[in-house]
Amino acid sequence: MKKTVDVSIPLGPVHPIFKEPCRIKCETFGEQVLAAEVELGYMKKGIERIMVGRPWQEVMFLAERVCGICSVIHNFVFIETMEKISGVTVPDRAAYLRVLANELDRMQSHLIANFSYCYTIEHETIGMYLLNIRETVMDMLEYLTGARVTCAYIVPGGVRFDPDNEDLTRIMTAMDDVERETRRYMSMFESGPLIGLRSKGIGVMTREQAELIHAVGPTARACGITTDCRSDHPTYQRLNFSPLVRTEGDNYARVMLRFQEILQSVDLIRTIIRTLPEGKIRGGGTIGRGETTHKGEAPRGELTYRIKSDTHGRVQEISIQTPSIMNIEACARYMIPGVTSVADVTAAYISSDPCVACTER
Amino acid sequence: MTMLQSLKNAVRQRSIHVCYVDTGSCNGCDIEVLACLSPRYDLEQYGIYVHNNPREADVLLIIGGVTPQWEDKLRMVWDKIPEPKVAVSIGNCPISGCVFSRPQTLTRAPAKSYIPIAAEVPGCPPRPTEIIQAILSVAPLIFKDWELRR
Amino acid sequence: MARPEWVKTFFLAKTAPLTTPPHFREFPHLTGKECTHCFQCMMICPAPGAIEVIRTDKPGEWKPVIHLGHCIRCGLCVEICPELVLDAGRVHTKNAQDGTYMQFQFHITVNPVTCMGCGSCTVACPVNKEIDPQLAAKGTSTSDEVIMRVYKGINTVFHEDKCTGCKTCEEQCPTRSILVARVLEPLQISEET
Repeated sequence: MKKTVDVSIPLGPVHPIFKEPCRIKCETFGEQVLAAEVELGYMKKGIERIMVGRPWQEVMFLAERVCGICSVIHNFVFIETMEKISGVTVPDRAAYLRVLANELDRMQSHLIANFSYCYTIEHETIGMYLLNIRETVMDMLEYLTGARVTCAYIVPGGVRFDPDNEDLTRIMTAMDDVERETRRYMSMFESGPLIGLRSKGIGVMTREQAELIHAVGPTARACGITTDCRSDHPTYQRLNFSPLVRTEGDNYARVMLRFQEILQSVDLIRTIIRTLPEGKIRGGGTIGRGETTHKGEAPRGELTYRIKSDTHGRVQEISIQTPSIMNIEACARYMIPGVTSVADVTAAYISSDPCVACTER
Repeated sequence: MTMLQSLKNAVRQRSIHVCYVDTGSCNGCDIEVLACLSPRYDLEQYGIYVHNNPREADVLLIIGGVTPQWEDKLRMVWDKIPEPKVAVSIGNCPISGCVFSRPQTLTRAPAKSYIPIAAEVPGCPPRPTEIIQAILSVAPLIFKDWELRR
Repeated sequence: MARPEWVKTFFLAKTAPLTTPPHFREFPHLTGKECTHCFQCMMICPAPGAIEVIRTDKPGEWKPVIHLGHCIRCGLCVEICPELVLDAGRVHTKNAQDGTYMQFQFHITVNPVTCMGCGSCTVACPVNKEIDPQLAAKGTSTSDEVIMRVYKGINTVFHEDKCTGCKTCEEQCPTRSILVARVLEPLQISEET
């Protein structure tokens, strides 16, 4: 009997394109990919088990190190959950500074996601340009918080350090640089014919498919679904935030949506620095007993923390749901099958911005 | 050592291929290694080329505390690399497990117990400047008198 | 196109030197002030095995020692030290400018159902030993100034505020009935005008 599946190609854990170990097994017919299966499990460290029985000052650092790329948002959502349990309020200046650190982190995460994509389609020039502008953003994070990655900036009741006016002027000038350069690279990306050949129409996911598989983050917003947890956050509502949406649903739409979100973050940061209120940065408050669920918007989608704490604020039960598992499933189910060449499998996979460390903590 | 051999060693020292293996990290050290490639801290100006093929590598960068799945595979990747070779571990996780070395963890640091490591860069994560200083200090030792040592 | 400028950058541009900026939160270094061995830096450290407070060669002198392969450069030990013995980056300048500080509170809870009154925790507690050097085995004591002692068959806590949070009692308990909570509160001095 003639077999319809020619060969099954594994793209293994150690691969030039993958930064993190993950196996993709593609079944192909000639060069056309019929189905794909993703196998994870190389990065499981058991973080949620380590967190049980520890106070917030130790769990905060473990939560940050669930994913080093989006470490500020894990810190943010964890501390906000603990504050929601105990009823601790945050002064205005601290709330704005938290959003400032969050948006800087979002920009550097989108820049590295787009660098990964450009590196995958072998366009190293734009990739290196993006890494260069990312260094400016990391410098600003260093001035604000004292560290580049895993900053540990947000504590219950406020933030740790207050930037002086010098730092704020530096950030404003850096934002002008970032915006000018990002617009230039966006126009380079839009008008490149080889980039269009490898991105437009590749890895298409329709809106109904995205709703069926519950995709989140820029992967879902590039298919037409308007879903963004930042619209429910009071500080973002004060800054008049509204999510960006595109309709095409292919690689090109996802990468361009990330570029547009970088520009949106630049505007948010400018508004924050212009309207930063004076006041204290720490409101004090101890963590008490309770149980709650809280959501936040990580650069890759919706992040949920469910925590139960005991009398003195130690964590009894904790459950983290990260965005990448839904996006990786969506990628394996809908984006990869149907591509006409095995070389496009990695491009489609990287354009959905997987973060395997988040997926298996 | 003949002049040809010393010429070969001198040339090899200036062009090093690096392969990196992520054995279960949080990705913080990963993006600091990528930041080394950026034009700001340009790693390629020293002749160091980062790609991920163990068969063509001279230096192996280990990132992350060793998770259960990687215990045997780390040794397999190390054996695939041809002589002469050197392993450098980046970050706190391969040295001690960083914050993950609690009783209920699944990681089994240190990575020193699986493969021989020549240099360690502490920090969580170390700055790109510290990573580059470590690689540059280890690079001359790989090929020094290799023909005599073999 | 700006050709001469491009040519100049091509030949004369240099990459950044391999130095660390001063505002980066480095591994903490000693400032030279006197350490009173209160051990609060060891209580707050989130990374196991990163900091130890040990005696030096000079009699009566203590100092904290940081192990590089374990420290995650969070800066909490720098912020909590009441004598400002450690420093990293701009942490002390910022704390002095903003008036921010952190405060520890320790709470001891004993589970009366599982506690069998063996007294291991009372005997192990270093503060108890300082207050009452004649603390006997099985946790009995003549003074009521100790933090806790075995009273009517169960270990009872008398003075929770004297606890320094070292968790030695928690490690020694055979039935895991005693738990110490290290409650940390980040605060800021409010300017009363």
